[in-house]
Amino acid sequence: MALVGSRRPTPYGEAVAEQLACDLAAAGVVVISGLALGIDAAAHRGALNGGGTTVAVMGTGVDLVYPAANSGLAEQIVASGGALVSQFADGTLPRRHHFPARNWTMAALSDVVVVVEASEGSGALITAQAALELNREVMAVPGSIFSPLSVGAHALLRDGAGLVQNARDVLAAVGRQPEVLDDPLAAPERVGFELARARDGLLIHLSEAVTVSAAELARKVQLPVAEVLGRLTSLELEGAVRRQADGYVRALRRSGGRA
Amino acid sequence: MLATVDSCLLAGMEGRLVEVQADAGNGEVKFVIVGLPSASVKEAIYRVRSAIRNSGLPFPQRRLTVNLAPPEMRKDGSGLDLPIAVAVLLAHQGLPPPRRSAFMGELALDGGVRHVDGVLVAARWLQRRGYERVFVPAADAEEAALVNGLEVIPCADLASVAAHLAGAEPILPLAPRELLAEPGAWSEHDLGEVHGQEEARRALEIAAAGGHHVLMSGPPGAGKTMLARCLPGILPPLELGEALEVAQVRSLLGELPSGRPVDWVRPFRSPHHGVSMAGLIGGGSGLALPGEISRAHHGVLFLDELAEFQSAVLQALRQPIESGRVTITRSGGSVSYPARFTLVAATNPCPCGWAGDSRRACRCTPAVIDSYRRKLSGPLLDRIDIKVSVRRVPPNLLASEPVGEPSSPIRERVGAARRRQLDRQGCLNAMLKPARLREQAALEPGPRRTLERWADQQGLSARGFHRAWRVARTAADLDGTELIDERHVLEALGYRLQDAAA
Repeated sequence: MALVGSRRPTPYGEAVAEQLACDLAAAGVVVISGLALGIDAAAHRGALNGGGTTVAVMGTGVDLVYPAANSGLAEQIVASGGALVSQFADGTLPRRHHFPARNWTMAALSDVVVVVEASEGSGALITAQAALELNREVMAVPGSIFSPLSVGAHALLRDGAGLVQNARDVLAAVGRQPEVLDDPLAAPERVGFELARARDGLLIHLSEAVTVSAAELARKVQLPVAEVLGRLTSLELEGAVRRQADGYVRALRRSGGRA
Repeated sequence: MLATVDSCLLAGMEGRLVEVQADAGNGEVKFVIVGLPSASVKEAIYRVRSAIRNSGLPFPQRRLTVNLAPPEMRKDGSGLDLPIAVAVLLAHQGLPPPRRSAFMGELALDGGVRHVDGVLVAARWLQRRGYERVFVPAADAEEAALVNGLEVIPCADLASVAAHLAGAEPILPLAPRELLAEPGAWSEHDLGEVHGQEEARRALEIAAAGGHHVLMSGPPGAGKTMLARCLPGILPPLELGEALEVAQVRSLLGELPSGRPVDWVRPFRSPHHGVSMAGLIGGGSGLALPGEISRAHHGVLFLDELAEFQSAVLQALRQPIESGRVTITRSGGSVSYPARFTLVAATNPCPCGWAGDSRRACRCTPAVIDSYRRKLSGPLLDRIDIKVSVRRVPPNLLASEPVGEPSSPIRERVGAARRRQLDRQGCLNAMLKPARLREQAALEPGPRRTLERWADQQGLSARGFHRAWRVARTAADLDGTELIDERHVLEALGYRLQDAAA
């Protein structure tokens, strides 16, 4: 299975990718991704956590990890019995046009391509397009309708991509498990991530997918912005919220008992 | 016959005394100027000769030598025309020069006395040097009259100056000007017109209260410029001394409006990002002229699109930000200008402007964003205490955003907080160095732990630590309390951008 998506995901997308990869890897599925930042890295990380095998399809020569921030991850992939593969000769530098080609390779190597968070024009959509042309299954994870990062995945769903809510959906699509799509949509029995909890009542006004600015929050709770800013900083200190360029999002935490 | 009159040339904000000696002697009929005159001073020969003749006065048909002392100093500018003409006339007529008086002014060929730059600066300097009377162009007399204890003789033309000196027809000195702050002369931009943006408004209030520099980051059209323009309106009006310093810089540049030489509203300067080093810091050939940072003295310097400025130009801001003055050395010598301003910088989060926006996708690659931000980082950003992100409000929602508090009550609070700081420590919080910060802004164990915990967790640099501390001091001053508590520290830690942990 190839798991692809944005290089700058929301906390939600990152958690989804990591969880999905972890569960699928634990079920014996080889998780393929592109060793990029964001969703790709989360997918590799999740697969490693699940004790499975993961393959990184690279847009450079296999001797050169791009971005360099993922070199530790690349080492772990190899050490755990996975592989770094590339269609490019050793020493090939990252070039803009290499990545679409890499995306085709990724689709060709997999039976199913799952897209998590892709904005319009994202490279993940090239992988999905390649998968269609190569007769592979395409699936997508829905996101918030307010987030521009959901546009790509939602467009795929509208065009007939399979809906992914959990690892079982993917397993069914690759024929590893009997059809489950008709199952009633019950809450998953074990959710690997949960919203951060803290005593501060501001938290319930925050979302994990869409940023809310301190000013908006202050208006909503009718408090001076100075106080809201201070409380948000305090929540940040506890790790319950994360700050993005234009506001705050609720952080997701791994629930207890996970590797 | 010999006559000596005094004049003054300017080197930055300082005067240099020039003694103009004229000797009308026997010999070949000739007019020479010695004493290292520049080309424009040499040309005074023609202006002075024509001005004297066209004023109906006798021009001495003798050997005329004018010496400009001290001879080793290079003399530049046209302000020496009037003193040269007066010295020539006095030498010819054998009259004594007026005591403790100095002359400045350019001459037109018809004898009219024309404007020269920097009369206010020169007048202040002369007054301190013990001069009692200045003869200045009538157009600049209002400027000179701002100086206490100086008799100002407005000179419209050479003929009337000659009549005054001969005692025939004295010119009335200009009455000294009583300076009173005029309330109500506020900047045209009021925070009351800004919808929403509570976070940025609060950041500006803190910046105004503590004299902190501000960086605003946000997509195009978020209102960063509008917010910045509101800052002068929430700062207290200039005090007399400050207003005179602002007027002196303008006087040097010849930008003082005649009729209303003193302005009580704080200056607001927003140079374009293509500005040169000389334009921003000050410069020019010979002796440097004040740049934008000196024009913004006691006011606001707004740099929009900070990342588009040449990085050398931005780096040159560091010294003036530290010291409140800028010293520029050029071939003609070294001059120093005041430059204590509040810096307001604005930037997009990335080249396309939409990085991090949750409502519109950004088209920049992570590498491009990285290099864009690297351009901004470093020593200049280290000196900006408050960083705030400004969010774009879609135009159709703008009207429904709450209208904020107007500028005047904010100005009151800012004024009160500033007085607290000046009473306590004699300067604004932004100028507190770490040692004085420990002295004037002691932290209770609780808030200190919060700050330290944050520093640990976020890898805050020592500079970042002190930045947050200073801002917390200002937040407490706005609250009217001596004690800095947890809230103030937490709020201060909130004024940073998500990517800049330091």
